[in-house]
Amino acid sequence: MKWLELLTVAGTTLVAAVTVVVLYSLGVRLTAIAGDAEQASPRAKRSLAYICFGLCGIAVLFGLYLIIPYFSK
Amino acid sequence: MVALVIALALFFDFTNGFHDTANAMATPIATGAIKPKTAVTLAAVLNLVGAFLSTEVAKTVSGGIIREGSDGVQITPDIIFAGLMGAILWNMITWLKGLPSSSSHALFGGLIGAAIAGIGFNSVNLETLLQKVILPAIFAPLIAGIVAYICTRLAYALTARHDPDTGSKLTQKRGGFRTGQIFTSSLVALAHGTNDAQKTMGIITLVLIAAGTQAPGSGPQFWVIAACAIAIAVGTYAGGWRIIRTMGSGLTEVKPAQGFAAESSTASAILASSHLGFALSTTQVASGSVIGSGMGRKGTTVRWNMVGKIALGWLFTLPAAGIVGALTALLVKTGVVGVLIAAVAGTAAVLFMFFYSRKSQVGHHNAVEVEEAGQAVRFAKKKALARARAKARAARSNAEAPTEDAVEAPVEANEQKDSQR
Repeated sequence: MKWLELLTVAGTTLVAAVTVVVLYSLGVRLTAIAGDAEQASPRAKRSLAYICFGLCGIAVLFGLYLIIPYFSK
Repeated sequence: MVALVIALALFFDFTNGFHDTANAMATPIATGAIKPKTAVTLAAVLNLVGAFLSTEVAKTVSGGIIREGSDGVQITPDIIFAGLMGAILWNMITWLKGLPSSSSHALFGGLIGAAIAGIGFNSVNLETLLQKVILPAIFAPLIAGIVAYICTRLAYALTARHDPDTGSKLTQKRGGFRTGQIFTSSLVALAHGTNDAQKTMGIITLVLIAAGTQAPGSGPQFWVIAACAIAIAVGTYAGGWRIIRTMGSGLTEVKPAQGFAAESSTASAILASSHLGFALSTTQVASGSVIGSGMGRKGTTVRWNMVGKIALGWLFTLPAAGIVGALTALLVKTGVVGVLIAAVAGTAAVLFMFFYSRKSQVGHHNAVEVEEAGQAVRFAKKKALARARAKARAARSNAEAPTEDAVEAPVEANEQKDSQR
């Protein structure tokens, strides 16, 4: 039986999904805060939010990079 | 015979495509992130791209389950023909019932049945069967469900906003997830392309090798890749609206944050599994994710009734496709006449199901009712906008089609009839 492979798949899935979701959620949260009326520094929060979205995108692209055999040759 | 098998394989690819559109696009359609038509177009394009990206899976398809080579048996085009017949028929039946079921399991089931009937029971490798089909079938929804549950919890915890002084809830502003869903669902569609189009490529290559037109051990030829990619893209574009309805609103009500969590877990599970060698079924992963995300949000109910129905469908996939495959294999054994009978009967069955489905049509217009009321309450700013839009639409529909409800009503009636059966 391939229990080890099963575990690897489960672990990778968890790590990848959690990374993406956490980064994106943070981005959403920061955008929401930046949109509040009585906010001290909305611009800083907004740029932080964009950084989060960006990191999320990079994480996804890195995953694709690992997967597509064309790159990993 | 070879040409017939290739045509059948491409048709299987087509059914696979429209069967599995739901996996990627049901949740964004349900939350209103993408319009239904746009969603299937996007999925089709990404399937096309995905099919070209990698041919790793094609090289290993169905390897090992049926004993090949010197000590085993030779797979003939006849067996593959019979197996495909079983897979296609089962795909059509589950589509008619709106059940998301695994196309790959249908294919395995058909091939196994055909091999048992055509060659004998010893042609099937039970241990590999357990390892490649049955165990993944148990763990795919489990893994995806648990991960989706955790992700949904996280997404809601991170974006829950309370007033620090009073502790009352602020407007949550989770609209960003709707945009995110476009990307995650695209990722699922891409993953589906890299995964499922490969299976047909593998089959066609197997046939070509068996027929002696291609050197053994070589990868799929370019025209095979292109044909499979196009077949699956066309199938995806046709859209299995019945299954989209089940996945999008039959299992649980999906909100954008949930959909986002579910899709990211689906995408990572499929991509991780197909590249680490423990192949999981796309459909089972996607269904598991939707259920898991449904459990993750407070105040959502999962319709376990529906879940049971789907699980039952999964149980039957292997034997049902196997029986059709076996019957076809027996027919094919009798010679050319048998092949003709099988082909005609198969076509007739598919056509019958297609026309039967016309009786209660489920299309992009009524697959999922998007909950616009809930959206309006959630986002204060959009409330006014939505109201204005709704008013405009109401005025328009009053002028153009005064009895839209009357058109919808018979569809509902038909469905009730279906469920009573």
